[in-house]
Amino acid sequence: MKTLYVEGDSVLHRLPPRVKLLGLAAAGIALFFFRSIPPLAVAALISAAIYASLGIGLRHSLARLRPIFLTIAVVALFTLLVGSAEEAATVLLRLTSLMLLAAAVTATTGIGDFIDEITLAARPLERLGLVKAADIGLSIGLVIRFVPEILDRYRAIKDAHRARGLKPRILTLAVPLIILTLKNADEIAAAIDARGIRAQK
Amino acid sequence: MDIRFEEAEARFEGRTVLHPLTLSLSERRIGIIGLNGSGKTTFARMINGLVAPSAGYVVVNGFDTVQHGEKVRAETGFIFQNPQNQIILPILKEDIALGLKSRKLSRQESDAAVDAVLDRFGIGHLAARRAHELSGGELQLAALASVLATEPDILIMDEPTNQLDLKNRELVRRTIEGLDENIMVISHDLELVEDFDRMLLFHEGRLAADGPPADTIRLYRELAR
Ligand SMILES: Nc1ncnc2c1ncn2[C@@H]1O[C@H](COP(=O)(O)OP(=O)(O)OP(=O)(O)O)[C@@H](O)[C@H]1O
Ligand SMILES: [Mg+2]
Repeated sequence: MKTLYVEGDSVLHRLPPRVKLLGLAAAGIALFFFRSIPPLAVAALISAAIYASLGIGLRHSLARLRPIFLTIAVVALFTLLVGSAEEAATVLLRLTSLMLLAAAVTATTGIGDFIDEITLAARPLERLGLVKAADIGLSIGLVIRFVPEILDRYRAIKDAHRARGLKPRILTLAVPLIILTLKNADEIAAAIDARGIRAQK
Repeated sequence: MDIRFEEAEARFEGRTVLHPLTLSLSERRIGIIGLNGSGKTTFARMINGLVAPSAGYVVVNGFDTVQHGEKVRAETGFIFQNPQNQIILPILKEDIALGLKSRKLSRQESDAAVDAVLDRFGIGHLAARRAHELSGGELQLAALASVLATEPDILIMDEPTNQLDLKNRELVRRTIEGLDENIMVISHDLELVEDFDRMLLFHEGRLAADGPPADTIRLYRELAR
């Protein structure tokens, strides 16, 4: 997994990016209106069906979703500890649905399209003089671009530990990861400048 | 092309990396050689304003690199030592289109410009590929396409054949030969630059030689011994 985008020709791939993003936002809001388990379970099933329609394959999907799912599991577990089982199930179903829908959108939308749509959506804020719309689009595009790269680097550092017979520890993993990521970010920033990408208004 | 250094100096954290340098460049093909850490990349980054001189100034086609950074960077294309880091969007055609955004082209115009530059380098088949899947040679051509799409006057390449196998090195070398832009190439691959119009040799942050490639290379071999 090196880009979040997955090539394909599913219905979602063909849907205009704007429709997908607005749909995702609407679904995200709607999910918080349901508070009982049955409708949320249905929502999770529908979301899973949508994600499955992309044809990514079960094993690959699990690999892609595992990090987010673990986070959701931790949140659900915490809810169980401080609240009730029902609350925990609600959180689990709601966030899982949201994860599946969001993952379906990122898997079917190219970063270029993301940047264009988000830039467009930020235009009103630009008119208020608050931000530069193009910068917001670019930043979000860069986040999407870098997620897989940071995960890759994390794996490479873990492999390096293994190759040298070292036990991976949070500190020895995190420090090189942060340093490498910052150095890489510096270079990307230089490339953005050198290529005049932010010269636009 | 007209590049002028006036007593320009580069300093990082109090350490002088490039000693004050006065120089004017207008030849179409200029090679830059020197040992690791001699200041070549820093010199090149001063030309497009990524490194601001700590003293003196640098003027490119009439624009001061500090006061008119954006204009200078529109005049100069820069291929980084590691092209992986300059492909900003993973899909090649999206990346090239991103570079064209500041031109405010229509979708069709932008697509046509992207196709044209991909064709120019014979890499149309890579348009929808992801940058990280490309071979070293393909990546170098991709970086070249994305930079030349914006039609800079001067193209600076930092070790374009670094890390390439023999076949890809040949491919990139032939492509560079075919370019009709003004080019400036930093290289440890002396064959690549030996027939250029002018050659600069950097040594320990100073310009140690400047002239016809044969003479400069001879001096470089002596220094390296
Ligand atoms: N941003 C920076 N901060 C601090 N020091 C730097 C920075 N950039 C370069 N240097 C230092 O400046 C010196 C010259 O570096 P430069 O990258 O220009 O060399 P180079 O000739 O391109 O070397 P190479 O052939 O290895 O690419 C080196 O000692 C390097 O450590
Ligand atoms: Mg260098």
